[in-house]
Amino acid sequence: MVVQSHTEDVVMLNAIETIKTSALTEISRVHDLSSLDEYRIKFLARNGLIAKLFDDLRNIPSDQRPIIGKHLNDLRSQVQTLFDECKAKLDSVLKSKEDVIDLTLPGRSHWVGSKHPLTQTLSEIKRIFFGMGFDVATGPEIEDNYHNFDALNFPPDHPARDMQDTFFITEDVLLRTHTSPVQIRVMEQQRPPVRVIVPGRVYRNEAISARSYCLFHQVEGLYVDTGVTFSELKGTLVAFAKQFYGRQIKYRFRPSYFPFTEPSAEMDITCILCSGSGCRVCKFTGWLEILGCGMVDPNVFEFVGYDPQKYTGYAFGMGIERITMLRYGIDDIRILFVNDVRFLKQF
Amino acid sequence: MRVSYNWLKKYIDISVSATELAESLTMAGLEVENIDNLGDKYKQFVVGEVIRISKHPNADKLSVCNVNVGSETIQIICGASNIEQKHKVPVALPGASIPHNQHDPEGKPFVLSNVKVRGVDSFGMICSPYELDFGDDKNGIMILDDQAKVGTPLAEYFRLDDVVFDVSITPNRPDAMSHFGIAREIKAILGGKLKIPSIKLIESKSKTRDFITIKILDRINCPRYTSRVILGVTIKPSPQWIQDALQHIGIRPINNIVDITNYVLMEIGHPLHAFDYDIIKGKTIIVKCANEGERFVTLDEKERVLNKAMLMICDGERSIAIAGVMGGRNSEISNSTKNIVIESAYFRPQSVRRTSKTLGITTEASQRFERGADPNITEWAVNRAATLVQAYAGGEILRGVADIYPKKLKPLILNFNTNRTNEILGTNLKSKNIIQALSKLEIKMINSNRRKRSKDVIKFRVPTFRTDLTREIDLIEEVGRIYGYDRIEAKERVSISLSNIPPYQDPTDLMGDWLIGRGYNEIICNSLQEKKTAKLMSQHIVEISNPVSQEMSALRTSLIPGVLEVIRKNIFFGSKNLRLFEFGKVYFQQSNSRKTQIIEGYTEEDRLLLALTGALDPQSYDQKLRFLDIFDIKGEIQDLFKKIFLDKFKFIHYSTTNSLTQHHLLVHINGEEAGYLGNVRKDILKSYEIEQEVYISELFLDVLVRHVPKEKKYLTPPKYPSVTRDIAIVVNDSTRVEDIENVIRSTGAPLLTKLELFDVYRGNQIAPNEKSCAFTLEFSSPEQTLTQEMVDRIMDNIIEYVSRKLHASIRR
Repeated sequence: MVVQSHTEDVVMLNAIETIKTSALTEISRVHDLSSLDEYRIKFLARNGLIAKLFDDLRNIPSDQRPIIGKHLNDLRSQVQTLFDECKAKLDSVLKSKEDVIDLTLPGRSHWVGSKHPLTQTLSEIKRIFFGMGFDVATGPEIEDNYHNFDALNFPPDHPARDMQDTFFITEDVLLRTHTSPVQIRVMEQQRPPVRVIVPGRVYRNEAISARSYCLFHQVEGLYVDTGVTFSELKGTLVAFAKQFYGRQIKYRFRPSYFPFTEPSAEMDITCILCSGSGCRVCKFTGWLEILGCGMVDPNVFEFVGYDPQKYTGYAFGMGIERITMLRYGIDDIRILFVNDVRFLKQF
Repeated sequence: MRVSYNWLKKYIDISVSATELAESLTMAGLEVENIDNLGDKYKQFVVGEVIRISKHPNADKLSVCNVNVGSETIQIICGASNIEQKHKVPVALPGASIPHNQHDPEGKPFVLSNVKVRGVDSFGMICSPYELDFGDDKNGIMILDDQAKVGTPLAEYFRLDDVVFDVSITPNRPDAMSHFGIAREIKAILGGKLKIPSIKLIESKSKTRDFITIKILDRINCPRYTSRVILGVTIKPSPQWIQDALQHIGIRPINNIVDITNYVLMEIGHPLHAFDYDIIKGKTIIVKCANEGERFVTLDEKERVLNKAMLMICDGERSIAIAGVMGGRNSEISNSTKNIVIESAYFRPQSVRRTSKTLGITTEASQRFERGADPNITEWAVNRAATLVQAYAGGEILRGVADIYPKKLKPLILNFNTNRTNEILGTNLKSKNIIQALSKLEIKMINSNRRKRSKDVIKFRVPTFRTDLTREIDLIEEVGRIYGYDRIEAKERVSISLSNIPPYQDPTDLMGDWLIGRGYNEIICNSLQEKKTAKLMSQHIVEISNPVSQEMSALRTSLIPGVLEVIRKNIFFGSKNLRLFEFGKVYFQQSNSRKTQIIEGYTEEDRLLLALTGALDPQSYDQKLRFLDIFDIKGEIQDLFKKIFLDKFKFIHYSTTNSLTQHHLLVHINGEEAGYLGNVRKDILKSYEIEQEVYISELFLDVLVRHVPKEKKYLTPPKYPSVTRDIAIVVNDSTRVEDIENVIRSTGAPLLTKLELFDVYRGNQIAPNEKSCAFTLEFSSPEQTLTQEMVDRIMDNIIEYVSRKLHASIRR
């Protein structure tokens, strides 16, 4: 019994010695984290060699157990220390290696695209009017006299036609000078209520300069129904202007003249560049004109077969180029059509 | 129109400042675009007296002058040879803006400062007429009146104590195209009493009608012709006040008679014309149309070719003026003129406009006639002119006017419903307010008898000078204008009825956003271009009959030339790697097109253009720069189509000499042509001075939009993992990849869910006339996990078919 027990603890002590030796030699062969991990699994893991010896401890007679147990504990802390030191060493090597990578190198990049500023302005205007329940309508750029002028109540041989210098293709066919002919086309095809905005390209036969180009883009608006008033027109456009330019703007409506609206008005807002104190852009008036508008002229309703006694309506129109130029401080309209990417990439 | 503040004050007392007046006019619809304080031009300029002149020590042609400028005597270096002691001269002091720099080729303005001229200080500048913006005289300094007081501000010396407004008058308001007309408007908006220009005539015993006979042969186009004859006038410069008044609004004084007709025009707005009475043959004025092809020299000494629709003023033998547009050279007032006829007529607007348009002449007179003058003021106008002629040119005014006015224009009477006003404006105005507002504009209520008047309908009489007010709605606008647009509430709550247009569907937004994310810059190009350019892509071009220039005389037929121009410019500026797209229209003139034509004979098509040039990616430190090729643009189109869920598309190789591209691929969607792609032909690139390859694709947006699935139904992604296999197929070099793919696809269906080409190899390991194409195949089934055996079977099938159909072998 005694002999037997004696044998048990000797075997155990030998085993401890063997493991200690191999733990000491093997640690010197550990050069990276993965072999360190193998080392840990072999010696220190739950199923490792040391853990196995602890399992065997229950076979040791109880009187010997504390001594053997102490040896075992020493072994474990010794190997743990070897492991910790080795890991610290490897970590520091790794860290110094990491420092060699110059993280200030630029990231890998691809081309960055841009939306043309005119499209951006248009999208924003559309978004606001969509929110107010407007649909989009479009029409041809090659128009006839009837839709561009006659049906919009431009009297024949009247100077009002000079307000818009026209490119003609034939005597009767022309490039539309405004998006308003689409008002006629929509009303010809639809009964009230009509509530649309009409974005599109229009042409003017003018000499090209910093302030005028042979074409530009407009957004037209039209609302026809029973009981539509000038007061409502003002409300709608004020809501638009505040959403587009900011709540703080002040506004005013001035009487004006368009053949297809009566009464007609132009809307000014406080100059967005000088906040109304007066600058070159607002010609020192503190005001900027942003759109033209008015109540649809009864003659226009006659042309499309709406009863002017029953229906009233309003229309408005604004120039995308002008709004865009004001917004970004662009002082030459031509730059919008040059498409220099150094310009485009700013948007 | 230029409107003088001082001049306005002759007709109405104005209690507000010029700035406030401008604001009120603007808010009443007479927009003041600019306020010009005339005196500002000569701030820091004074009248000086030359006290002493001595030679400049270092320059022969310069002199050193001591000039008394009132507050002090200053030293000025002057180069003019006409300078003399005691001369009164215009002196610019430091800080003055000199209107023209005499030494600048363009005569640009500059701001004066103290300078040393060849080592001698100069504390001011003595100016020439040119430097002061008085004509072109650069030869020496301007000499002022001896009596001028030293130190007087130059603006005061030149009587420039006035403010001039640039008023933009809309085409419907001819009545406001004069100082009196604007004064009338001021009365309506600010109140006050109108002072009517005075008429004081001393007529002789001889009757006008014994000296001149008027015959109107075209009474439609000339409803009224009024004239007076004045004998024995003296032609001389007009009085200073008339000259000043005209000059302030930008009209050059000529002589007293011409100035007076101009003055009355700008005063009351009615155009007048003065003829030399002695050259009028037969002492008869005949109003009739010109002879077709007749030649006539106008006042500006240009010969005009007339047509038979043009109304002319003639004497017994020949034409002497183009009615309402411009007088003739043959009858103008000259220095030797003794006797004059003053014409004050009314011509039909359409007639004057057509003549003015056809001849390309726009004058102060034609502008007023074509907008609509008032036939009822011709006599007043001619009498006002005669009053001034007698006062400033002397002469004998003959008794009475020669006046033909067979059909007097009566004021319009309009029925007006007050409820309607509130319905249109959204206001709550009472009849009383409305009557008041309109009466300010001299629009008076008639039938004021309450019992006769129905409750809401009022009759108003519109004065004949308001040619724009012909309907109830016109009066409603006037009510709104006088009441004030700003007093009409901006309604914050609006009720809208729902419209019946289907929802707005626009895949262009999606495509645009995707392209931008993909690194493209959106461009917007001119749709007008040279005919030659437009013809590059089509013979059916739309031409402009009145182009600004030949460079913009046709509408584009393709978006390609526009983008090539953009690329040319960008490369010039140093941007060589470009990814561009444009949404735009192209235009064709085609009588027998199958496409829908809103305007018969013309089609407009929406296109999307993509253009790529330069490197695939920005330059990088560890990646080789790769330049784009045709497969990049092809890939972009494939991906774009995937993005908008178009799957039934095909690229068809198509050789044509008509296109701008080589390696031309047509893009078909569901068998319909939807555009093309390729690299731009070398010769085309050369004409744009582009030396690098450009890859483009032009897509037909309407076709794309038509084929984009309108409704999307959700498909469950397979629950079972997919299996992939690689295979390398060796085929003859001439075998097309598309054919291999087709065989694999048809054989692999339906479990083959993806097929990707990942390598094309030619080289030592295979025969010289062969290539090896390596594909990755992905298989999956919605019903089960595929076993290796199942996939092996499909692969075997594929190998068998590929080998048989394409004489291919499999590279192991």
